[in-house]
Amino acid sequence: MESLGDEPWDVVICGTGLQQSLLALALSRSNKRILHVDPNDYYGEHEAAFSLQEADSWAATHAGRSTEEDSSVEKRQPIFKNASVWKHPDAADLGLLSPHAYSLALAPQIIHTRSKILEQLVSSQAYRQVVFLAVGSFFVFDAEATDSSPKLARIPSSREDVFATKAIPVKSKRYLMKFLKFVIDHDSEEQKPVWQGQEQKLLSEFLASEFKLDENLQKYILALTLSLDGLITVADGLATIHRHLTSMGVFGPGFCAVYPKWGGSSEIAQVACRAGAVGGGIYMLDTEANVSNSPDGHEISLELSNGISVRTTKLVTSQQDALPDAQTITRLIAVVNSPLKPLFETVVEGAPTPAVAVVVFPGQITENSPIYAFVHSSETGECLIGQSVIYLTTLACRQSAQRLESALDDLLAAATPEGSPAPVSLYKLQYEQTVSAREPLITTREETRTFAFPSPSLSLTFDDGCLGPVKDAWKLVMGDTALETEYMVFQDREGVGDDDDVYDL
Amino acid sequence: MADSNAPKPSSSVKLVLLGEAAVGKSSLVLRFVNNDFQENKEPTIGAAFLTQKCNLPTRTIKFEIWDTAGQERFASLAPMYYRNAQAALVVYDLTKPTSLIKAKHWVAELQRQASPGIVIALVGNKLDLTNDSESGQAESEGADGEESGDARKISTEEAKTYAEEEGLLFFETSAKTGHNVSEVFTAIANAIPETSLKSTRGPGASSAVNRGGDEQRVNLNGPREAAKEGCAC
Repeated sequence: MESLGDEPWDVVICGTGLQQSLLALALSRSNKRILHVDPNDYYGEHEAAFSLQEADSWAATHAGRSTEEDSSVEKRQPIFKNASVWKHPDAADLGLLSPHAYSLALAPQIIHTRSKILEQLVSSQAYRQVVFLAVGSFFVFDAEATDSSPKLARIPSSREDVFATKAIPVKSKRYLMKFLKFVIDHDSEEQKPVWQGQEQKLLSEFLASEFKLDENLQKYILALTLSLDGLITVADGLATIHRHLTSMGVFGPGFCAVYPKWGGSSEIAQVACRAGAVGGGIYMLDTEANVSNSPDGHEISLELSNGISVRTTKLVTSQQDALPDAQTITRLIAVVNSPLKPLFETVVEGAPTPAVAVVVFPGQITENSPIYAFVHSSETGECLIGQSVIYLTTLACRQSAQRLESALDDLLAAATPEGSPAPVSLYKLQYEQTVSAREPLITTREETRTFAFPSPSLSLTFDDGCLGPVKDAWKLVMGDTALETEYMVFQDREGVGDDDDVYDL
Repeated sequence: MADSNAPKPSSSVKLVLLGEAAVGKSSLVLRFVNNDFQENKEPTIGAAFLTQKCNLPTRTIKFEIWDTAGQERFASLAPMYYRNAQAALVVYDLTKPTSLIKAKHWVAELQRQASPGIVIALVGNKLDLTNDSESGQAESEGADGEESGDARKISTEEAKTYAEEEGLLFFETSAKTGHNVSEVFTAIANAIPETSLKSTRGPGASSAVNRGGDEQRVNLNGPREAAKEGCAC
């Protein structure tokens, strides 16, 4: 058996976060000698998805609190912290069975249909291993709703929808349609003057001043941006709404985003790593790699935790330290004992049944930031049939944990038809997530290069911005042989194809 | 076989292959998918992702077959395998006793780590190297490998008893001759519980045209309709 330490590796990749994994996919046909290790015994790093046992043990190792004393000592802060788990005392009786049947995503993101990552997954053929599900309706929670109107108002998803809805007065509809038409080509010469000079203004103010949208419609539009602080600017807001609108219908009617079954980005990371393995890369989980001596400029020596030492000229890793004072979010994941069916209805003819619904709790500009809930049906494979998983997110603050809890209660009550028993949470995982420095960290020493990806963006939608560093890392590994036109463009491997022949059993 | 024009519900089933190196995992799949066999096949590197559709009387099952990609050495793909697999093919070489030990290890791991309800088939491959290959019968009477040409080291009885104890499907196959290969997959397809193929609308879902399985799946390769301007909010 050939020893791993004998020959130098073309690249050693540490960590199986989405970016490292996409790099492995990008290099999977390069014939480079690739060693891919991860100190964890699971795939996905910051984007992992966990069974309940894994979630328990992850929470135990990320329970660390950041006290004020800590920050004064300038201690290194992790990306995730303050994690805690709660389990219903009668969880098993209420249906929380077989912990392996769950797959809770640490950082779920919906992927707009026009995202570049989908293009890359298709051109690299990796998409064949991923099941993409539709993200359906967006709802706005209205705490003040009277008995006659529902507390969960569905944001109209099509022109017909806007016309049909009774929730919007006729006059407002006209303003809304005018705004939607404007957004579609807001970047054109004709429309630019409408918003030029106001780029950094708040979107909500712009909607009121330029399009006479009332508070209700402003809420709808802001909800679609999924802006964490709700203070999105005109420039960013228009781009985001534009993406939302133009993503509708790309892969079928009635949805603008998709979600990978079985845990979101974690699933993409695993499929990408698998492509790396199929291409000959060597994979080792539960293996830490430490630079064993200061690089002499020709090679980097790495000591693996399994005792093997390896050498390489290129090391790709990820940043693990939080940027001081960076934006931080509080997340709450809850497994509930109800399928919450009213949230997953199809509203457009021919649309696939959605597996993800979005519920927005608008914030008040001055005090509370909005709360976003992604509700996942059991179709996502993240829980058992008859249950759902709710992922709530808001900006971290003193009350954010309680605010998420009460939003969860509100959501469960609002999504349950009157007369039915209110669903209960069986399992909850709560934690805070922040970010590292936003740029890749690149260290050059003579012939050696170290490249560290930034931690994932806190955005609730997949951020195409994370794909740039993957390509940069790919160029760094490929050197002069990098042919941009061939980046992530692969043929199917032998034996894969359309199912022309079908077995009749 | 399907004479009715009404499309049957179709579901994807993730099937993982496990077993010691060189027991014939990839060969079994190649026989099943391409009806092909390669003598002295190289260890699996660069193995394709294979898929094969199977028509059952009431539904179509598309097997997505996850080969080991030749990574048996560090077992590092295992966590990927356990997650969300609905079926596993644990293969041993019936001429090699250590391979059954390894197979039992995989079965134990699957029972510990995999989703509940996973269908596991234990498959003893290389039946062509034994005396009962010609007859194609799984029964080898008193064959203790004494007769010439019989390389069998693991009796049918031993493996079968083990499989029964653990609740596994059990077959002896030859990827080389094709003996029993499609039977393995048929048995797996039939053993997949109907519930695990249905959508969330599952229990109590009304119509015969259950919107289950793959109809929920978004096809990224389908015709891209240009988004109509202003069609959505």
